[in-house]
Amino acid sequence: MSEEKKLTLGLFYCQHTPESSELDRQSLEEKYGKSIRLFPVPCSGRIEPIHFLRALEELTDVAYVITCPEGECQYFEGNLWAKKRVQRTKEIIESIGLGGDRIGIVMNSKENPRSLAVLADEIMENIIHLKPSPVLNPYR
Amino acid sequence: MPAKYMIHTQTAPNRFKPFTKSGIIAWTEGCLGCRACVKKQCVYRVYINRGLDTKQMIDSIDNQCMNCLRCVQGCPMELIHKSINPEYAALGDSHWTPDIIAQLWDQAETGKIPVSGSGYSGPFSGPGFDSMWTDMSEIVRPTRDGIHGREYISTGIDLGGTPRHLTFTDSGDLESDQALLVNIPLPIILRIPFFGSCGKDIIKGWAMAARGLGTFLALPNEMIKGELVDFKENLIPIISPGQHCSGDGLEGVRLVEVPWEKNCKDISQKIKQAHPSVLISCRTPLVRGVEERVLSIVDSGVSIVCLEGSSWGQSMDDNSIFLKDIIRSIHLALVENGMRDEVTILASGGLAMAEHVAKSIICGADGVVIDFPILIALECRMCGRCTKGLPCPVEIDQAEPSWVASRVINLLGAWHNQLLEVMGAMGIRDVRRLRGEAGRAIFFEDLDRNTFGSLGKIGEGYELE
Repeated sequence: MSEEKKLTLGLFYCQHTPESSELDRQSLEEKYGKSIRLFPVPCSGRIEPIHFLRALEELTDVAYVITCPEGECQYFEGNLWAKKRVQRTKEIIESIGLGGDRIGIVMNSKENPRSLAVLADEIMENIIHLKPSPVLNPYR
Repeated sequence: MPAKYMIHTQTAPNRFKPFTKSGIIAWTEGCLGCRACVKKQCVYRVYINRGLDTKQMIDSIDNQCMNCLRCVQGCPMELIHKSINPEYAALGDSHWTPDIIAQLWDQAETGKIPVSGSGYSGPFSGPGFDSMWTDMSEIVRPTRDGIHGREYISTGIDLGGTPRHLTFTDSGDLESDQALLVNIPLPIILRIPFFGSCGKDIIKGWAMAARGLGTFLALPNEMIKGELVDFKENLIPIISPGQHCSGDGLEGVRLVEVPWEKNCKDISQKIKQAHPSVLISCRTPLVRGVEERVLSIVDSGVSIVCLEGSSWGQSMDDNSIFLKDIIRSIHLALVENGMRDEVTILASGGLAMAEHVAKSIICGADGVVIDFPILIALECRMCGRCTKGLPCPVEIDQAEPSWVASRVINLLGAWHNQLLEVMGAMGIRDVRRLRGEAGRAIFFEDLDRNTFGSLGKIGEGYELE
């Protein structure tokens, strides 16, 4: 597969994700190169459907968000809102025939919290079967 | 009196949206849809003009928000929150803090003195230069405003040393050579930082800025080729350690930097023989016993010494010793030995703010050499990705030379104005008079020792009950 056609992932993650410092972020960038774009956010509830849609339109083939465990949100309900928004966005992109699996959410576990690197690896494995997005700007 | 030195600044917009300190978290779920929505009433129209920069996924509500917190307080369902932006918090490190980086970006864009807003809540003291408070006893005199006022405050310094004494022939003519001096209108010299995604155009832009400001840009000798040859008069070639230099290729330069090493005396003599009009600066790292080394360098006839601290403003071999303390001890050692006027001391390493220039000079330096601020002026985030082979997030190497020059001129224009403000507040009208004026500052360590040092000690003849 040529460099241009490599599947790209836009990953938004809550700033409270374990081991998600700037150095951890750069290690992931070194590992995956241009296949990953990482965006730390103050709260996963900050991400709205428009963020996912614009990411799919101009930036990446797949967009995911990592949230803190249920009941652990610093803003009480941020991760719950994120869950609903991801669902809503999935419906939107399914309705245009793009495939809902281009959007996803990973809620971290309270009992067994996983680091950003582990979660990113898992997401990368989950999306490996997807084909490059037909809507992504080819001149990016 | 020379013409008033002014740095003409012109807005040079950012190429990328800068990270802002805080982010808005505004949830739409649970919204009552009130008629008097605080979002609609935002005086800065942040919510109405909302947009998304998809290149970096930066939401305009963060960048345009002026932190009045009206929406946070006004929403009846408390759906709006403010939070620290994690991208902002991740900028730089403990010395090059996010606030310093953001202020440098702002100054490079606008050329204006940063205004921090409604009061300063502290901290009022800290390590390094933060433990110095400068004199403001004459701040009440508006005519001392060096930026817009009538009085002329000079920021020019002479590079080079003056002889200890003059000798005359029997007929009364001057026998000794005249002192070789180079005057620069700003006590700041630029140096290429040791990392950063700097291509030819960036270096050309820095050279253009050095010429525009009337100062110098120090860069490795081997880099001076092609278009940069035209800027030789404002360039300082740095001779690499171990490099053989007989003075070839130094035609047209006014100043050369040689690293301190065992044969630096031979190199400087060779350069002097080949180019008698070239000033030589010796760069020495700040390590234990540097005072002795500086005295020996001055003794060998070198008239400029550049002190090189770490990128965090500390000694190279001991991070508990700060740049300001070493400059003071070197300055005092030179004064005690009656050699202070024979040498120009330039301080470098970790100088990140305009106040560091004035404080370095108060501690005893004649001027400073800055490196990373001229990179941060180009929107650098000090993330270090370029050192790992990762792409620069702000594509510095794609910048146009004219934009680079404008950004650096803006930054130094703002620093120059702040230097004038500080000197005006002290009632000092010439930066050369500020050198070593430690009485113009209060050092926290001294104050702490004088005030509380005697506590807990028992005087002779007294006993604790």
